[in-house]
Amino acid sequence: MANLIKLILLEGKKLKRHIIIGEVIIYWIALMFLPLLFIKQVSADFGNSFTTVMELNKAIQTGLILFGASLINQVFIDEYKNKTISLAYSYPINRKQLFTAKILFIALLVFLVTIISYTLTAVSTYLIDQVHPFIMGEFNPDDILLYFKDMIIRSFQITVISFIPLYFLGIWKRLTIPTVLCAILIMQLLNFAPMLNLNLDLLIVLLFLLGGLSIILSIFKVKKVGEI
Amino acid sequence: MDYVIQTSGLTKKLKGKTIISDINLHVKKGEIYGFLGRNGTGKTTIMKMLTGITTPTSGEVLLFNQKLTEETKTVLKRVGSVIEYPIFYEHLTAIENMKLHGEYLGFYDEKEINDALDMVQLKDTEDKTVKDFSLGMKQRLGIARAIVMKPELIILDEPTNGLDPIGIKDIRNLILMLNREYGITFLLSSHILGEMEQVVDRVGVINNGKLLNEVTLADIRKKRTEYIELMTPNMEKALYLLESNFQISNFKMVTNNRIRIYDLTHSQKTISKMLILHDVEIEEIQKHTSSLEDYFYEQVNGGGKLD
Repeated sequence: MANLIKLILLEGKKLKRHIIIGEVIIYWIALMFLPLLFIKQVSADFGNSFTTVMELNKAIQTGLILFGASLINQVFIDEYKNKTISLAYSYPINRKQLFTAKILFIALLVFLVTIISYTLTAVSTYLIDQVHPFIMGEFNPDDILLYFKDMIIRSFQITVISFIPLYFLGIWKRLTIPTVLCAILIMQLLNFAPMLNLNLDLLIVLLFLLGGLSIILSIFKVKKVGEI
Repeated sequence: MDYVIQTSGLTKKLKGKTIISDINLHVKKGEIYGFLGRNGTGKTTIMKMLTGITTPTSGEVLLFNQKLTEETKTVLKRVGSVIEYPIFYEHLTAIENMKLHGEYLGFYDEKEINDALDMVQLKDTEDKTVKDFSLGMKQRLGIARAIVMKPELIILDEPTNGLDPIGIKDIRNLILMLNREYGITFLLSSHILGEMEQVVDRVGVINNGKLLNEVTLADIRKKRTEYIELMTPNMEKALYLLESNFQISNFKMVTNNRIRIYDLTHSQKTISKMLILHDVEIEEIQKHTSSLEDYFYEQVNGGGKLD
């Protein structure tokens, strides 16, 4: 376990940190103001109550699936493209453990960034509403509990779903742009599910299972698919 | 016998094509072993299999008498390597790359890192990211990374690539020093055979993915032959004169205007004088001693030059 934690931390040291930090800041700032933008520019119905805003925020935060794709690119695909993966393979670490550490590193980062993004969006939306009210109805303290519950569940779902492109596009095919396009497609599918008459809850379960399957295959098929 | 590396039936197939076939390699403790082979004959692939970078299709690798598998990769703590070309996290500095390497191996000693950088004359590049390094600097940094832990085995693939003549000499001296002072075993590959000849104790000749032979340099030297090589457009006349005047019959025609005379009962000067007196035009005449290069050409049987 201690070895795994060490490997996760080492993944952080290898990262092009300035690129990731810049990307995260852009995500946070953009997502912070999206509820206001949607209510003002797309449909005022989103602002009927704090509950509807929370539903809107759930959809907004799926944008972070794209952040998962960006990390797959840096942590896996770039390692193959720059051949640094052969350096990693020459260390006394078995490949399953190495890939598990990489996956946990991405998972922790996506989960953490999503949680912070949820919090920042909630705080900024609430503060803006206090200054320039745009959400109808009263704020119910029970909403906070609901919001936290939603935040944890949704962040976990986003984290696992963001791994869908990992096995096939990331490790097997090692394709940067298709990995990003796959993440965009998943985001759009989730956002447009009601318009496409798809059961959103069922869709989330399916995507969650796909993400989980991709993680399992990435770890257990590493000997064959991870070969240079 | 105390072998550091031993392989049996090592085979690698890629897309159904056999690129490495049934390699039985033996590298003894404390020796400097050289891989000889043309470009693309499989030296790098074998080295990759020895260091766990790629897995064999069949056969096995024994490092320090322990079979190398995913479960026994800890044995690689005893190995330093630079395979194919030096690979780094290019956005990091030399020292950051060295520290990262140390952390992966569970080793952290800043003094050792600085000493290794000093050994390859890279001590004043701490703040420069590796992407700004020349190929020669990367090669030296790769060697510094391979030697920093003073492992028991160091595998270097073309270690003098991209180095200037002084750099080549420095690396050669460094390899010899580490071998003599620390008893480190080396497996090297190089296409500069003259360079290999100055360092290695034993060679393995690889051709078309097969290990043709393993032989010590001392044995090659024992078998060394001397000969006079003559180039002339009047070949028939020259051969007649050599046989009739000097009773020389131990020669070999290399091409239709070049022969090698192995019977050295007559000196180069005497042969030249006799041929000139009989109006045989001489384009070139020179005495040679067969070298590692000759041994290599003989082994691969192609006669072509290395790339």
